[in-house]
Amino acid sequence: MVEPALIVNKLPIPTDGKHGGASIDRTILKNCCTTVRLAINISEVMILRYQKIVIVSLLALAGLCAITAQSSAKIFKDQLGRHISVPTKPRRIVSLAPSITEIVFALGQAHRLVGVTRYSDYPLEAANLPKVGSYVRLDIERIVALNPDLCIATKDGNPKAVIERLASLKIPVYVVNPHNLDTILKTILEIGILLNAGSRAVSLTAELHNRIQRVNSRVAQVAHRPRVFFQIGIAPIVSAGTETFIHELIELAGGKNLAEGRIAYPRFSREQVLALEPEIFIITSMARQVVFEEVKAEWRRWPNIPAVRDERIFLVDSNLFDRPSPRLVDGLELLTRLIHPELQE
Amino acid sequence: MNSAVKIADLSHSFGKHHVLRQLAFSIEKGEFFIVIGPNGSGKTTLMKLMAGILKPQTGHVKILGIPNREYTPKTLARAVAFVPQRLPVDLPFTVGEAVLLGRAPYQGALGIERERDLEIARQAMAFTGLSHLSGATLAQLSGGEQQRVFIARAICQEPDIMLLDEPTAALDLAHQIKVMDLMEKLKVEKGITVIMVSHDVNLAAMYSDRVLLLKDGEIACIGLPPEVLSFEKLEQTYGCKLLVDESPLGGFPRVTLVPGRYMDSENGS
Amino acid sequence: MITKTPRIVTRLVWTSCLLLVVLFAVLFLGVSAGSSSGGMFSVLQVILGQSDPDSTMHAIIWQIRLPRVLLATLVGATLSLGGLVFQALLRNLLAEPYILGISGGSAIGAIAGILLGLSHFPGVSLTAFIGSIATLVLILVMTSGQSVLKKESLLLSGVMVNAFCSSVIMFLVSLTQDAKLHNIIFWLMGDLSTADIRQVGILAGMLLPCFVLIFWHSHAMNLLLMGKEMAQATGINIKAVTLTLLVASSLMVSVTVSYCGLIGFVGLVTPHLLRLIFGPDHRLLVPACILGGGSYLVICDLLARTLPEQGEMPAGVITALIGAPLFIILLKRSGR
Repeated sequence: MVEPALIVNKLPIPTDGKHGGASIDRTILKNCCTTVRLAINISEVMILRYQKIVIVSLLALAGLCAITAQSSAKIFKDQLGRHISVPTKPRRIVSLAPSITEIVFALGQAHRLVGVTRYSDYPLEAANLPKVGSYVRLDIERIVALNPDLCIATKDGNPKAVIERLASLKIPVYVVNPHNLDTILKTILEIGILLNAGSRAVSLTAELHNRIQRVNSRVAQVAHRPRVFFQIGIAPIVSAGTETFIHELIELAGGKNLAEGRIAYPRFSREQVLALEPEIFIITSMARQVVFEEVKAEWRRWPNIPAVRDERIFLVDSNLFDRPSPRLVDGLELLTRLIHPELQE
Repeated sequence: MNSAVKIADLSHSFGKHHVLRQLAFSIEKGEFFIVIGPNGSGKTTLMKLMAGILKPQTGHVKILGIPNREYTPKTLARAVAFVPQRLPVDLPFTVGEAVLLGRAPYQGALGIERERDLEIARQAMAFTGLSHLSGATLAQLSGGEQQRVFIARAICQEPDIMLLDEPTAALDLAHQIKVMDLMEKLKVEKGITVIMVSHDVNLAAMYSDRVLLLKDGEIACIGLPPEVLSFEKLEQTYGCKLLVDESPLGGFPRVTLVPGRYMDSENGS
Repeated sequence: MITKTPRIVTRLVWTSCLLLVVLFAVLFLGVSAGSSSGGMFSVLQVILGQSDPDSTMHAIIWQIRLPRVLLATLVGATLSLGGLVFQALLRNLLAEPYILGISGGSAIGAIAGILLGLSHFPGVSLTAFIGSIATLVLILVMTSGQSVLKKESLLLSGVMVNAFCSSVIMFLVSLTQDAKLHNIIFWLMGDLSTADIRQVGILAGMLLPCFVLIFWHSHAMNLLLMGKEMAQATGINIKAVTLTLLVASSLMVSVTVSYCGLIGFVGLVTPHLLRLIFGPDHRLLVPACILGGGSYLVICDLLARTLPEQGEMPAGVITALIGAPLFIILLKRSGR
């Protein structure tokens, strides 16, 4: 059986899974791999510009492979390393997380969706789709009743037991694990391939990639990285540590995340925050506007804080920062505007 | 062996508190045996030891010639029936059901009642005058009637020995006599050995064949009522002034308590 | 002479038959309703084997709903029976199956399992079970100084241990974040949605012998109502019976709780409801609790998953919402 050469980003290459008969041309594969391997021999922590080459090459490869594949179901290897048999043209997809719903819509494949989770609220059209419970508490019965030919799940959030249950009921579940911008782009590509929207996926990721690059180049010139306190919890005060999207975005946007550290969602007492002397407060709108005003007023009681002094307390939409979807790039751009207003063209 | 209960070298303590010290006596079959004594003398403990509820720490209790510990709870229950001082009157069953509980020593695990069980229960209720109340719940009965329910239940165990702990304590005069008469009837008609703890020395005098006077866990005196219920023995044991004479009904002593105001006059000793 | 069937046997047979009919009706209802729609007729077709085995309806009924209602039956039976036994053993009508530290211990064990990232079965179930047995043993050891069987010390120790465990649980919850917190909360509220037919079978295998054992001791429980001393004097081996009942019910409640979390109120409310309907004889109450308690939870679970527009409520909420007023009505009617 041909073992498709796996590339640093481990893009799923469809095989037909049968012993002996390979539907992929070995020589083409070999040639592509050599080219790609050059690109790969750079360390794992690559800056995004190399990814562009890699991504484009891979897509060419994937396109070739897709053409030569012959069965009506393909075997994909998902981001957890599981091999899933997926129909060539999935028509009844259930998205098991709001971020996945957003990705599917962004790829223009919403017509394939038959079910989404309760909080899949973006875009607005998603509200019309049948709901299958929330992503931590999925309603298996509703999912089965929708007769899906593919479910797409996330590793974080969807309970493993439910995924296994669905698998035991003979429903293919493809699990993704986007944990930073890099892997989000990869996920968009993978889902694009799954849904026969490879070209759309490529252009979407290319566009996102470009926007990220633009931010990078602007921020590269910055002398000072303001201290940012990103507040996601009000009582108790909770911020975001290194292992979160928020941290990555803050750093990319040219700020310094005051809550960086091992703990993903560390708690702070008011004193601790005061001692950190944040220059910018960013508060997410899990709460409503009214609550935001209260929180702002609360911080205003401490005029010694640079952020209060300079009136740099901002409210942002939490959905731009906690969902591994294309809108994370919107979040990045927003953060850049807030942290480095001087950089705007 | 003609003894119903034979006690030898019986001692029992709760922690450091010695309740009974080396008791030894026996009770004959068919006797009406009453144990009296001040509070804390160990009467209830003695009852429970005889009923097999407590295991003796030293010495032994022989029921019908066989040591207590050689009986299983079921076989012991067929020989000895116990009516405690505080009755479980919150029992949610009807009178009929409560009395039937007494047939447990003769039934299997699920206590399925057979004709014989029902017959015996009926007889017990007739004996105790409860036949008209068999459908009532315990909560609806008076104190005396509740008492009789548990006596009827005990009778259903077809025991050789009946143990009662202060059965007359909470009863009014009429019921006191009723219960004592019932016990006498049991003894006379069925040959059951009745062993009772009482705080009422006069009832003890009236009904018992023999009396045991217990003080501080030891036998102060044991024997026929006139012997035991002498004013010296009683005064010594109870520590209060008493007057003892013969009851106008004849044949047994009558004990009268002496109020304080009589103290400094003729009846000094 | 014609021997009459003893009255208790007749009553037992009638009660059981009545409740079995109720149970089957309730099971059918439970299997017919769910978060996806499907008329009664199609449900009937599936059950009678007339439908396409590959259809979604088939999968839903046999693989999702049936395990769930069977689980609800087992859990309802266990918790009701556990409540009944503890009420008899401790001679306290407020006793309920979690009283001897089982809820506290299993919760701590479950939370530990969830925080360690273990899977639901056997991982978290096992840690929960170990936790509940640990607290039980702790309580038995604590009370073994005085007579183990002295009801007040057992009860008090249980209450104290549960209180201590509650504070530990709150502490652990306050430290936890995100997804794990969800799992913990769902476990604490009780969760019947994880039913899997194989696991339910294993559970049944463990619980049914306990049911039989407890039924075998049902008359002993009647006698226990007179108090331990009088029961002993009427021929019951108090130590053996109490220990057997204690161990059997603690084990079965622990097993159930370890699998499904803490479904509340069933164990407290159903024995009382059934007692008001069927009387205080445990020989009737034990089968009544098994069949009636099971049916009760199936209905409550059914309502819990169909009433809310989105998602489902914890079944324990419904058991209390229905059970308490029902109980008050019955109480008033019986004129106590």
